[in-house]
Amino acid sequence: MSRATLLALTLALTAGCRESRTVTSPSQEQVLPGERGLRSVADFAGISEERERSLALFGELGQVITHPRCVNCHPAGERPLQGEEGFPHQPLVVRGEDNHGAAAMQCATCHGESNFRSIPGNPDWHLAPAEMAWEGKTLAEICAQIKDPARNGDMSLEQLAEHMAHDDLVAYGWKPPAQLEPAPGNQALFGQLVRAWIASGAHCPES
Amino acid sequence: MSVKLRVNGQAHELEVDPETPLLWVLRDHLGLSGTKYGCGVAQCGACTVHVDGAPRRACVAPIGSLAGRQVTTIEGASGPHAEAVRATWEGLDVPQCGYCQAGQVMSAIALLERVPTPSDQDIDHAMSGNICRCATYVRIRRAIHSAAASIGGQAGQAEASEAEEER
Amino acid sequence: MPVTMQRRAFLAGLAAGGSFVLGLTLGADADAASPSLTKVRGGDATPSLFIGITAAGTIELTCHRSEMGQQIWNAIAQILAEELAADWDRIEIIQAEGHPRYGDQNTDGSRSVRNNFHRLRVAGAAMRLMLIRAAAKQWKVGAKGCRAELGEVIHDASGRRLGYGELAAGAAEQPIPSLKQSEAALVPRDQWRYIGAPVPSLTVPKIVRGQGTFGVDVRVPGMLYAVVARPPQVLGRLRSCDDAASKQIPGVVASVELPVLEPPVRFKPLGGVAIVARDTWAAIRGRAALELEWEPGENADYNSKAYAELLFEQVREPGEVRRKRGDVDAALAGAATRITAEYYVPHLAHSVMEPPAATARWSESGDAVECWAAVQSPQSARSAVAASCGLPEDKVTIHVTWLGGGFGRKAKPDFVVEAALVARAVGAPVKLMWTREDELQHGYYHTVSAQRLEGGLDQQGRCVAFLHRTVFPPIGSTFTAGASKPAWGELRLGASDTPFDVPNLQLESGEVPAKVRIGWLRSVANIYHAFAVQSFAAELAAAAGRDQKDYLLELIGPPRTIDPNTEGAEYDNYGSPMSDYPIDAGRLAHVVELAADMAGWGRTLPAGHGLGIAAHRSFVSYVATVIEVAVDDQGTLAIPGVWSVMDAGTVVNVNHAASQLEGGTLFGLSNALYGEITAKDGAIEQDNFPRWRVMRMPEAPRHMEVKIVASNAPPGGVGEPPTPPAAPALANAIFAATGQRIRRLPVFDTSRRDRLAVAGSRHEGDEG
Repeated sequence: MSRATLLALTLALTAGCRESRTVTSPSQEQVLPGERGLRSVADFAGISEERERSLALFGELGQVITHPRCVNCHPAGERPLQGEEGFPHQPLVVRGEDNHGAAAMQCATCHGESNFRSIPGNPDWHLAPAEMAWEGKTLAEICAQIKDPARNGDMSLEQLAEHMAHDDLVAYGWKPPAQLEPAPGNQALFGQLVRAWIASGAHCPES
Repeated sequence: MSVKLRVNGQAHELEVDPETPLLWVLRDHLGLSGTKYGCGVAQCGACTVHVDGAPRRACVAPIGSLAGRQVTTIEGASGPHAEAVRATWEGLDVPQCGYCQAGQVMSAIALLERVPTPSDQDIDHAMSGNICRCATYVRIRRAIHSAAASIGGQAGQAEASEAEEER
Repeated sequence: MPVTMQRRAFLAGLAAGGSFVLGLTLGADADAASPSLTKVRGGDATPSLFIGITAAGTIELTCHRSEMGQQIWNAIAQILAEELAADWDRIEIIQAEGHPRYGDQNTDGSRSVRNNFHRLRVAGAAMRLMLIRAAAKQWKVGAKGCRAELGEVIHDASGRRLGYGELAAGAAEQPIPSLKQSEAALVPRDQWRYIGAPVPSLTVPKIVRGQGTFGVDVRVPGMLYAVVARPPQVLGRLRSCDDAASKQIPGVVASVELPVLEPPVRFKPLGGVAIVARDTWAAIRGRAALELEWEPGENADYNSKAYAELLFEQVREPGEVRRKRGDVDAALAGAATRITAEYYVPHLAHSVMEPPAATARWSESGDAVECWAAVQSPQSARSAVAASCGLPEDKVTIHVTWLGGGFGRKAKPDFVVEAALVARAVGAPVKLMWTREDELQHGYYHTVSAQRLEGGLDQQGRCVAFLHRTVFPPIGSTFTAGASKPAWGELRLGASDTPFDVPNLQLESGEVPAKVRIGWLRSVANIYHAFAVQSFAAELAAAAGRDQKDYLLELIGPPRTIDPNTEGAEYDNYGSPMSDYPIDAGRLAHVVELAADMAGWGRTLPAGHGLGIAAHRSFVSYVATVIEVAVDDQGTLAIPGVWSVMDAGTVVNVNHAASQLEGGTLFGLSNALYGEITAKDGAIEQDNFPRWRVMRMPEAPRHMEVKIVASNAPPGGVGEPPTPPAAPALANAIFAATGQRIRRLPVFDTSRRDRLAVAGSRHEGDEG
């Protein structure tokens, strides 16, 4: 058994122990169709080997994870990125102590509760913490990172799935202002893919 | 739709489209023209006001999102930090054309209220959203250090004199 | 409020009661044999044009130039108060409306003080003499025993004193002194109290309290708000307009089609459709909801990338010779070393923080219009409005507000004409605003240019041949359709006046057509000419293996004066006489030496750092700038230090001149680092910040030192001269740090990473 599988198993068990809330399992809900470049969970059902399926599912998740709507606020440095090109944010803003910006130049100085004209908005607009940076990382690195409670906000895999499927700030990725391209698919579909990936052992690509 | 908010301590009830940015409510409806339009997309900071004490770009703040909030504009900014900033801005004759300076002053007040003795980097981070085409940045930086020293007692003075020496 | 200020000024002009109005005595020259005050250098110095004294003792000074941050209110008040012996605390400024009686009001060309210094001093001195004479008459003593000080006339022998307010009525009855008497009474330089002093700004206390009225701030009862949808291309036309959706937006009142623009473009509106509404936001939304189709017109073939190639093709061909010394071809052919470099500077936008804005109100009878506007040239606004509305000029009133930045944009009053036309169409006062998008996409752009320089060095590395060829669509195209040849007035901005001490020197110009409205922007053609000439000076130094600063001083040569008129150029010296304001190589060399000293030229620098220097005379003033850059292994550029020195002759307010030197230098750096306006199919691609990028606080140097040279020379320009040396000093510093030569601006690409295209700091063994 590879080290990665062991880790995945451990995590899966941990997740099982924490599973006290009612969570809809993928099997109980309607399988969503693919949309705008993001495939349906059903498209992966034909892969019989579980690890292979899991890796394929994570590859699909990668389309969202590495999309500028997501990476731009998971920057490697102190400064978020902007636009489809991932240019450094103008004006200069930094994550600050709590990822909500510097003193007197908080995210909320410009970003309101919802999108306004070209300005993205959310009641809690902020950067992902530095340990959750995705910018410039391989999918393998990102995968290991999002499964690691030390680097994922101390979330179990089930909590991670819940976060991906329902978090309001994550949802922004699919409803940016008009001039920006939404992430592929939709959040519910993304959530199903995350669950399917976890259910298939949450395998990570090796490189 | 009617929106209730307080501007510079005064209560207002306004019948406006809730999507209307605070900027145009201040300027066109309330006659408070000290807050300026510069870009309309939160890029230049000329429209900076304080909402519940925190800086906010009025050009992208729909009035409907501000119900029950306290708005402070350049006309109403008060207290020791505001007075210190005004005094150093006047002492150094910081502004040139002055058009962006309401926003600069409001950002500087907010910075000093949060960081009593800001470093150069704190100033870079807090003031980066306020464009000055006359490029008065060198004097703005000097004036913030000087205002910090005038409010902050010894720690502030030490830092400011360091900054002076550097020049 | 300008509204009240203007009204009061108007009343003062007619006043019977409180105000002292010298206009009542106009023409009553005390000494008809000597020249009158209407013929003073710089224009009419009749005191009533500029000075009013109320019975309460308030000194009302009329500022006929526009206040746009250069602190002209202070400058004019300091000059007048000096000669008037006024109490500074009693001074109030009245902003003049646009009217020829004030003489030239066009606030550009860095000439407000240069052209008015003597004239205003004479006016102030004349008024002081009248006050003294009024007091002497009242006391029945000789005027010689009386003197004026801080708003009072004092009779020392008796100790009696009277305030100016008390003397106002009596002074008004005094005849206006002759020019000879007034000039003789000028306050000697060693007794100046206000001129030269860092007198605090008259505008800043208002600015920090949100007071004061800019163009966008004007409010008139019953006023509506308008924005305009303009054709994307200059000379494009509206093909169709459906305003049904706009009219559905609450607050939208009307749409107004503006007249089609016919060449030449001048200061006429671009055409299109205005949306008029009950507030600005409704107007902006209404405009966004318009369904518009445009006829793109003849400029739709304008693509900046292809046009740059055209410029470079042109600049490689011999052009028309515009200045010639010696035989540059022969000298180049015989040179031991020959260096060639081509430079490119793109279009720039003014990007004034206050976009253009004007308010217009028509008289009830519809035969006169009153406008309030942020204009640098109110008389141009008056003429343009009159021409477009078919009115005589005296039926147009232009009230001048504060300007939230000018930089040349607000010398073009197209927006005032728009306001007047729209207000007339809707039958109500209208405030017409330009949004930032409008300002960037429909400007009068700083031109785009290519230049080629060729230099020849002898065996000792001395420059023996200097060929400068410049190609750009000229400003003249804005006023004469199809004009493509650079005017002498553009060449004199840093090309025909190159003060280098080389035996063979030639300037050539080429011709290219303009495809957008070309305008003037702070320091104008000096921006690209100084960039090329001062960069090339450093390139020659590098080729000769010499220090940049030493080589620049060698090129400038020994102290002497230079007159390009003797070498085939038509050189008007920025409108100032060569006798008073020669091109002085000694003064230019002096600022180079001072700036180098201040920056510690020659000191050991940290790895990756480099110093660059550039010096330039423009607007008859001399500026040298040294810039230190730091480039890291990734090519990321930082500017740890800037040192600038300006010799502007006599300076009225040394603190405000220093502000201009700081701001003007950083304005030049901002443009050099980030500034680029590009066209695609005739439409401008940059629509707002940060696609059009300007310097912000974190990018400004943390260390900046400036010095204003103490000088008794007549006053030169202050607002523009700081800008030209910034870009070449930066490029020279980058070369010193990295060996990479920047010949095409801006320095950074659009990725906002602030890295040089070729990464890496200078390594051992690199050239340069």
